[in-house]
Amino acid sequence: MAVQPEIEKKSFVQTVLDTADDVFTRITAGIPAGEVRRMIRGEAPGRPNPRLKPHSEAFLLHIKPTYYHESVTKFTHTFRLGLLSTYLFFVETITGLILMIWYAPTPERAYEDMIRLLSNVPFGQFMRDMHRLGAELMVLIVTAHMVRTYLTGSYKAPRQFTWFTGVILLVVTLFLSFSGYLLPWDQLAFWAVTIGTSMAEAVPPAIVGETVNLLARGAPDIGANGLLRFYLLHVLFLPLLLFLFFFVHYYKVVHFGISLPSDEEEVGQDTANKVPADRRVYFLPDVMIDEASFLIGFTALMVLLTAFFFSAPLESIANPQSTPLHTVAPWYFYWLQGLLKIADKMIAGVIVPGVLLVLLAAIPYLDRNPSRRGRDRRVAIISGIVAGIVMIILSWMGTPYYAVQGAPAVEVVQELMPEEGAGHVREAGYQHLPLGVYDTREHPTTDDAKFNHILHEFEASIARFEEQDPSFNNAYGILKITQEQPRLKRITWEIYWLSAEGVEDRFVRTFFLHEDSLYWEQYGLRDFSFLRPPGQE
Amino acid sequence: MKRPWYSFLYVRSPIVKIGLGIASLVLTIVLLLFIGIIEERRMEAQTANWAGREIEKGAELYANNCYNCHGMDGKGLPGVAPALHSKYFFTQRLNDIGWSGSLHDYVALTVAAGRPSRVQSQWAQMMPTWSNRFGGPFRDDQVQAVTAFVLNWEEDAMQQGAADNPDPWQYFEDAPSRAVVGEDGAPVAAVTPEPTGPRPPQELFNVMGCLGCHNLDQPQTPNNRGPVGPNLGNLYETAGTHGEDAATYVHNSIVNPNAYISEGYTAGIMPANFGERMSEEEINSLVEWLLDPNRQR
Repeated sequence: MAVQPEIEKKSFVQTVLDTADDVFTRITAGIPAGEVRRMIRGEAPGRPNPRLKPHSEAFLLHIKPTYYHESVTKFTHTFRLGLLSTYLFFVETITGLILMIWYAPTPERAYEDMIRLLSNVPFGQFMRDMHRLGAELMVLIVTAHMVRTYLTGSYKAPRQFTWFTGVILLVVTLFLSFSGYLLPWDQLAFWAVTIGTSMAEAVPPAIVGETVNLLARGAPDIGANGLLRFYLLHVLFLPLLLFLFFFVHYYKVVHFGISLPSDEEEVGQDTANKVPADRRVYFLPDVMIDEASFLIGFTALMVLLTAFFFSAPLESIANPQSTPLHTVAPWYFYWLQGLLKIADKMIAGVIVPGVLLVLLAAIPYLDRNPSRRGRDRRVAIISGIVAGIVMIILSWMGTPYYAVQGAPAVEVVQELMPEEGAGHVREAGYQHLPLGVYDTREHPTTDDAKFNHILHEFEASIARFEEQDPSFNNAYGILKITQEQPRLKRITWEIYWLSAEGVEDRFVRTFFLHEDSLYWEQYGLRDFSFLRPPGQE
Repeated sequence: MKRPWYSFLYVRSPIVKIGLGIASLVLTIVLLLFIGIIEERRMEAQTANWAGREIEKGAELYANNCYNCHGMDGKGLPGVAPALHSKYFFTQRLNDIGWSGSLHDYVALTVAAGRPSRVQSQWAQMMPTWSNRFGGPFRDDQVQAVTAFVLNWEEDAMQQGAADNPDPWQYFEDAPSRAVVGEDGAPVAAVTPEPTGPRPPQELFNVMGCLGCHNLDQPQTPNNRGPVGPNLGNLYETAGTHGEDAATYVHNSIVNPNAYISEGYTAGIMPANFGERMSEEEINSLVEWLLDPNRQR
């Protein structure tokens, strides 16, 4: 652009302003500064609407609709759950990429890398916690998105295929979350995934099941090959699959429009794409501001949760030789674990989930009722709620509280000082475990309130199991705490009881606890005790 | 249209939305700043945490695998295995054997590779190979954990050599510098405790290192044999089956262990100097105790 003739024509100042506006318009992909000002002032767009230009100019905006129906922009119509799922995928990609920098998927390094990440990388623990929290929230929100779609009947014609891709996205999300489970290579990871892949083994006929299991694990047991395979599934294959199906899903959402609240249109009609001019809410600026502020708010909430209330667990290094007591699947598979407790591996692990999945994907084709109104869909909604309740009950049955209680003495110790994870005793910590021998028959008390609480729980727990279990009588416990080494205490739990036949029996379990060890629970207020000056309590 | 109860969730005003967005952004930045400020302390705490947990793991491995020979408190067993929990080990040992690396390397290497040779060994048992790299049971992290646990004795061991804790060698028999008067930081000469009359057999069985090789609780049967020395759980039944009466046989086996070797065991494993290290009275009480079917621990 020849500047000089411009200046001769207009004034110098005007030329500079025009050039600045030109640059601004290029950055905003078609909206001049004056229009942005009018947007902020809340003025209506002119005709033709100058705010539509970015939708044709900018790549990222061309997939967004230019306007929405006023009714679907209400927060409580969609709760922005689809947007949130997409955003969480974005968060997981970013945090996951950062975590990949410090991680090598081999059994020799994976666990060590986790420790190094936690203890030597600034914001390393934050990134890991955020990634884990994001993964769990993503499962939660994708599920909530599905439940919302089901309850508003939005899967009905013409959106059957959108629902189908949504079911695939749900499955991919679950697999993504689960495949990431193995990567820290700790006991939690190793055994959850061992159980998970062993379910694949039950696929009939045997040759297929064994082959699937072998392909997933890379060997008869999970090892270096299995870790590498799960890593590649987690960072490459499943994200790409999710990416693909996301675009199919989103294309369908935009193509058919978000379904209106059911009482705003006649039964059997779909007017989502016929938005009257006076009910249009344009993406720029209204919906964009709404979505952006919502996502920023959600990010703040996630950071807050990560900073204070959520810590990703890391147990001992994976040990194929020892299965920890009460191995559990991740919580979103508790229902499956519950099923496995009451039914055969083949039925509970393969047939029921398979049938459920097919049923879920086929809902739009099974439900021939054209109405999306709640009062016309009583059967569908009630069966949905019943299914939800069954899931919750099965999930409860999947927890160790149901039907896997070991011997009472083992359970008493496990409650106070589990083989893996924190437990009350480790949370109280080294400082609150005074040396000595404590016999529950003598109801000992010490000067330490926290320790008294532990002793009391020990006693109460023994008494409770004594009541429940007829082969656990006259039980008492002895807790011995001795100094094993400088800054290392030996904690020995001894429980004596009489069996139903009156035979004396005992159980002894020894743990060690170092002064510097920090143990934490996944959910709950984070332990900031390291901020205290040393020597203070 | 009736406004539903949750209508407070509808934020209509773009200005309020922008305001909430900015407030959230500020909150996020403040939280990240907070995390950034405490990050140094958190990393220190985590470093200490994992070092502490490694020692815990090492303690568990030691209690399951090592204490048989090196003793529950790491002070070794005479004739069986050297003391690790001794001032000598932490100050002089590397000089005596001319080791130029660190003590950590020395311990880690010994744990990993063991001492699978009998040449010039004063100990009754060979140190087995522990690392799975050389055919043992431990993974690398477990070798490191045991090493961390052993080295954690240093603070305690350095206090040995004082009047109330006299022996800086703690059953470390092969110690050339024992004869040398201690320089700065080196162990001072051991104070031999005054003999206090015959020791009880329970104590003898322990301090003489018998329990390193002989299991008192398990019976010796063809299917349940002690790996190094025969189990002694049913000695009162088996001792009389070798052509001598039980008491003579056990007495001879202690004083002159190579006179009769039970089938499947090797001569020269059991130290032959017990006759010098215990009085005749003590040996007799030990024999009597070992042959007692109802012996008390």
